[in-house]
Amino acid sequence: MPPGPADGPGRESAGRERRDKLRRFLSDWQGVTGLALVVLFFASAILAPWLAPYDPNAMDIPARMSGPSLAHLAGTDQLGRDTFSRVLHGGRVALYIASIGVSVSLVLGLVLGMVAGFGPRWLDSLLLLVFDAVRSFPAIILALATVALTGPSLGVVLAIVIVTTIPSYARVARTATMALRHTEFILAERSLGASTPRILLHHVMPNVIGPLLILAAMEVPVVVSIEAGLSFLGIGVLPPRSSWGTILNEGYLVIRDAPWMVVAGGIPLILTTLGFTFLGEALRDIFDPRMGRER
Amino acid sequence: MAENLLTVDGLSLDFRTGRGRVRALRDVSFPVRRGRILGIVGESGSGKSTVLWSILGLLARNAEVTAGRIDFEGRDLLTLGGADLRAVRGEKISVVFQDPMTSQIPVLPYARQMEDILYRRPLSRAAKRDAAVDLLRRVGIPDPDSRIDAYPHQFSGGMRQRAAIAMSMLTGPNLLLADEPTTALDVTTEAQIVALMRDLQTEFETTIVVVSHDLGLIAELCDDVVVMYAGEVVETGEVRDIFHHARHPYTRALLECDPARIAEVSRRLPVIRGDLPDLTRPLQGCIFAPRCQRAMPGCATIPPPVVPRGTGAAKCHLLDGPLADPDWPPPAGTATVPRQEAAAPPARPDGGTLLELRDVNVRFRTMGPIRARLRGVADPHVDAVLDAGLTIRAGETLALVGESGSGKTTLGRAILNLQPVDGGSVRFDGAEIANAPERRFKPLRRDMAMMFQDPVGSLSPRKSVRALITEPLLIHGVAGRDLDAEAERLADMVRLPRGFLSRYPHELSGGQARRVGVARALALNPRLIVADEPTAGLDVSVQGEILNLMSDLQAEHGLSYLFITHNLPVVRHVADRIAIMYLGRIVEAGPAAEIFAAPAHPYTAALVGGVPHPDPDRRRPPGSAIGGEVPSLLRRPRGCDFAARCPHAREACREAKPPHARIAPGHTHACLFPLRGANDTTRIR
Amino acid sequence: MIAYLVKRLGLAALVVVAVLLALFSLLHMIPGNPAILALGTRASPEAIAEYSARMRLDEPVWVQFAYFIGNALQGDLGADVFSNRPVTAVIAERIGFSLALICAGMGWAVLLGIPLGCLAAVRPGSWLDRVTGILSVGTIAVPSFLVSIWALLLFSIQLRWLPAIGAGEPGDLPDQLSHLVLPAFAIGLGWVGYLARMVRASMLEVLGEPYIRSARAFGLTPRRVVLGYALRVAILPTITLIGMGFGGLISSAVFAEIIFARPGVGKLIFDAVSDRNFPLVQGGVLVATGFYILVVLLSDLVIAWLDPRVRSSL
Repeated sequence: MPPGPADGPGRESAGRERRDKLRRFLSDWQGVTGLALVVLFFASAILAPWLAPYDPNAMDIPARMSGPSLAHLAGTDQLGRDTFSRVLHGGRVALYIASIGVSVSLVLGLVLGMVAGFGPRWLDSLLLLVFDAVRSFPAIILALATVALTGPSLGVVLAIVIVTTIPSYARVARTATMALRHTEFILAERSLGASTPRILLHHVMPNVIGPLLILAAMEVPVVVSIEAGLSFLGIGVLPPRSSWGTILNEGYLVIRDAPWMVVAGGIPLILTTLGFTFLGEALRDIFDPRMGRER
Repeated sequence: MAENLLTVDGLSLDFRTGRGRVRALRDVSFPVRRGRILGIVGESGSGKSTVLWSILGLLARNAEVTAGRIDFEGRDLLTLGGADLRAVRGEKISVVFQDPMTSQIPVLPYARQMEDILYRRPLSRAAKRDAAVDLLRRVGIPDPDSRIDAYPHQFSGGMRQRAAIAMSMLTGPNLLLADEPTTALDVTTEAQIVALMRDLQTEFETTIVVVSHDLGLIAELCDDVVVMYAGEVVETGEVRDIFHHARHPYTRALLECDPARIAEVSRRLPVIRGDLPDLTRPLQGCIFAPRCQRAMPGCATIPPPVVPRGTGAAKCHLLDGPLADPDWPPPAGTATVPRQEAAAPPARPDGGTLLELRDVNVRFRTMGPIRARLRGVADPHVDAVLDAGLTIRAGETLALVGESGSGKTTLGRAILNLQPVDGGSVRFDGAEIANAPERRFKPLRRDMAMMFQDPVGSLSPRKSVRALITEPLLIHGVAGRDLDAEAERLADMVRLPRGFLSRYPHELSGGQARRVGVARALALNPRLIVADEPTAGLDVSVQGEILNLMSDLQAEHGLSYLFITHNLPVVRHVADRIAIMYLGRIVEAGPAAEIFAAPAHPYTAALVGGVPHPDPDRRRPPGSAIGGEVPSLLRRPRGCDFAARCPHAREACREAKPPHARIAPGHTHACLFPLRGANDTTRIR
Repeated sequence: MIAYLVKRLGLAALVVVAVLLALFSLLHMIPGNPAILALGTRASPEAIAEYSARMRLDEPVWVQFAYFIGNALQGDLGADVFSNRPVTAVIAERIGFSLALICAGMGWAVLLGIPLGCLAAVRPGSWLDRVTGILSVGTIAVPSFLVSIWALLLFSIQLRWLPAIGAGEPGDLPDQLSHLVLPAFAIGLGWVGYLARMVRASMLEVLGEPYIRSARAFGLTPRRVVLGYALRVAILPTITLIGMGFGGLISSAVFAEIIFARPGVGKLIFDAVSDRNFPLVQGGVLVATGFYILVVLLSDLVIAWLDPRVRSSL
């Protein structure tokens, strides 16, 4: 048994605690790797127009389907477009979807989750039912059904991403809010006369937002995968615009003759998802040790 | 046969933590004598439980034994591993845990759990089951043949602890370890468990080691005592020697701080000043020196000698060596801990009625309307509070006393409109306030404040102390005040150092967090404070500080307190009047002195008599504990709620709820056959 | 218990109705003639007239919906636009492939993931724990369709160990099994990591509980403490998660069927979407939904059966 809480002085100050957390993060190789990959993702997506050796849509028919070489690091496709340049530009689509999708879901999920957790019971039951149904419903089935009617577009991808990921945030926010709802400090606030908006804003949200931000880091891979998956099926981003999914789609069609395309389209996808997952895990371990693996 | 069954010798142990190595135990040595009950007593942070876990080899992963040995039957338990250790655990040394709610696996029935404990025995399953049933019957589980197939959550707390004792005695161990065995239990249940452990000890001749912070339990149950402080043994001895001739200043101070040992009623309780030492820093000299009233210059630097005296030994410079004082220890009864007088003479209640409750009912829904219909339950509610009436006058302290589940906390919350009321009236300053809409109630929140049970848990964790204690001012828009100055004024008022204003709740100790709670309650100059278990979770030496603070503030500001608690010894010192609750009803209410001296209701008598007295010469005779348990609210009896457990119950008691009757001025009860003054009982209302 | 079942079944029915409503309203929210939308612009006027009559397109929308639900409940999901065969018959001949894939994928994941999680939790910090930790984060992070594509590339095209496409010759069990290996591997891989992590986390939490310390204090063997006590409790949240995560598994299976050209329901829906064969889309989506609801319900019942606390609160 660990020793009981010691009385009195000799406790760490907030500053020392923060430095301690930074030190722990830097000593976790997974976290540092994750951070590096995430930085790489942002940098390559933002700087793609300057980094890419070719115009992603420039066709070079004579050089079509050529394997990786110094001129074309990741080979070329059926139309002779440079796969490496297309991959770099594909990162921009992923970044666009990820940043909008994650931030919209986060905000909506936070609000809905706090409402469910703090509101009347019937509303909670109703919202929970919707969250659970949406969260566990096969996203691809939803996407196929939607695209069947509306046709593929970036907007549909974004809508599906947002709808399917809101429940994750909402559930975490709801659980955290529920756990707080009957704590003594919330009751204490009520006994002082604090209004419900004040309680939610000042006392519930600060305790809920942390886990949610960490979750957001872990949800980026989900969002990027959904976009890539839908684009791979041809029901997401449409050619000629390049996304990792469309590169995989085009590569899949010529997988026997030009295998480098599915490799080149997959590697950035894996690096990005791994990066955000590692980073999210490391952050969670530091800020909320109860949630994940213990050291 | 050796006299000592087990010997702890020079045990030192560190915990590796983020803050560095915590030197949790240092050179701990004591014998456990065969056939006796040894008590290890200490406050939180004393390392008493760590000693227990070392004996069983069940320490946390970050623990590291740096020195010492624990001899048991000729072997050092600390060097045993694997199968050798398992052969000892459960078979030769068994254990009863503090909280029976969490220490029994929820998904297996008792039959399976108890058969598993006997896995080493070459018995048939039927034979193991029979043995388990026999022991359950022995510890007082009714109908053990069928109850053995129950799961832990189907038992009440007291029953679970009985089952835990049965499980630990199943193998007939030589040594039984008990970690705070009654702390999670109510007073009346505690008395039953203590009696049971004594009986079993006599019957099976088991040696027992009890770890507790409760001096009453130690005095009641133990033959020998080890006193620990901050990871060291400071004194050992037989129980009478410790309680009557304590030789270590810490033991003396601890005993003097226990409200149950202070004979005369006093609003000012003695306290041990200062805090536990930081065990991550290098230690030298006497560990208690910084807080010791008798500390001398050498104490802080020279390690004290262990001096054998009487039936044991004490670790103090006063007893031997160059710093020895021939006049130490002073005779029993002489105070060694100073007790200041109150800042102002207590303002005795002279004011008019501040709060008046009449026939207040609070009902809880037990199941949803659909399920209730499916199950054919006509009224899916229970009465958590039933026809409760209370009066608090300006400037007085009313203690609301009851066991867990008595509805005392619910009633307190109902007064502050944190819990809807289902009937009756709540009048504050003459105005009806029951179920007032929050808009109308908000101004009243300046006059009534609440202190919550959990000192740290009732503070919003992401707010600084400064933000927390000025928040009431912000909520009520008390404009034009300098908030920083206010924060400092309030911190001074509750004697919280100003440096603490920038801290966060998790950086506070229980006592410090409690002060912040008091400051928040005081911020708006209320007239009534509802204090829910204000001393819960605080050590004896700290709780005095909070109680003294509360009584000073009362004298200064003319506050009224509704003091909700289960702690009767404390109540005796702080309350002007007492109301006793049982199963949601107030069964007796009256002046504090009268309630203690001559209770009218048999339940009050059982409660007053149920608290173990921290004096080994005042042990209760066997069989004095009242039997039974608090019934579930779901199965509230038709007649008197206490009838099933009452030694004086008659037929009439089971017919209808006894009405509230007056027995003396300001003294009411709800008993058909009260223990005193039955002649002059006059019905009220 | 009965009240619980009624409640769960009621919720399940509610989800089915909600999905039906969504499918129905999606078709009607799009401007234009639903019959042309559903059958495509090349459909013959007779087909459109027949479709309009059958779907009662001239009646109010809520009547149409009532008929739609009524027909669906009677097992009439309409007819394939091209072959005019009943949708139920088309799905019936495909569903076996999907079920086999899902069972195989989940099966190997459970058989490997749960023991891995247990072993890692018993020895936190050991090499096995570290390897499991990295592997599980890795496998969870990689999207399953990418695993499918790469597995196809590596094992079928480059190494030629296993067949690439189709579900094997009917009646030839070894051939069918060899066609099952790669897709099952692909959809199960992420779940191995997921389960290992879940079980590990939940085991670690349970192993820290006071009742596990009690079991140790009574001298029970480590084997019994871990398998008989800790796993018994730790498995409960894992079962809930398997139920909740089944939707994701269905998604993976759809991808795997498309990539490996396996003629299951997922491939059927995908092809139907490409062909704008709406009755097939509706039927397929409904079957997938029903299947997922069944699994969630089943996991709830297993929990109630394993946990006496849940059982007695019902």
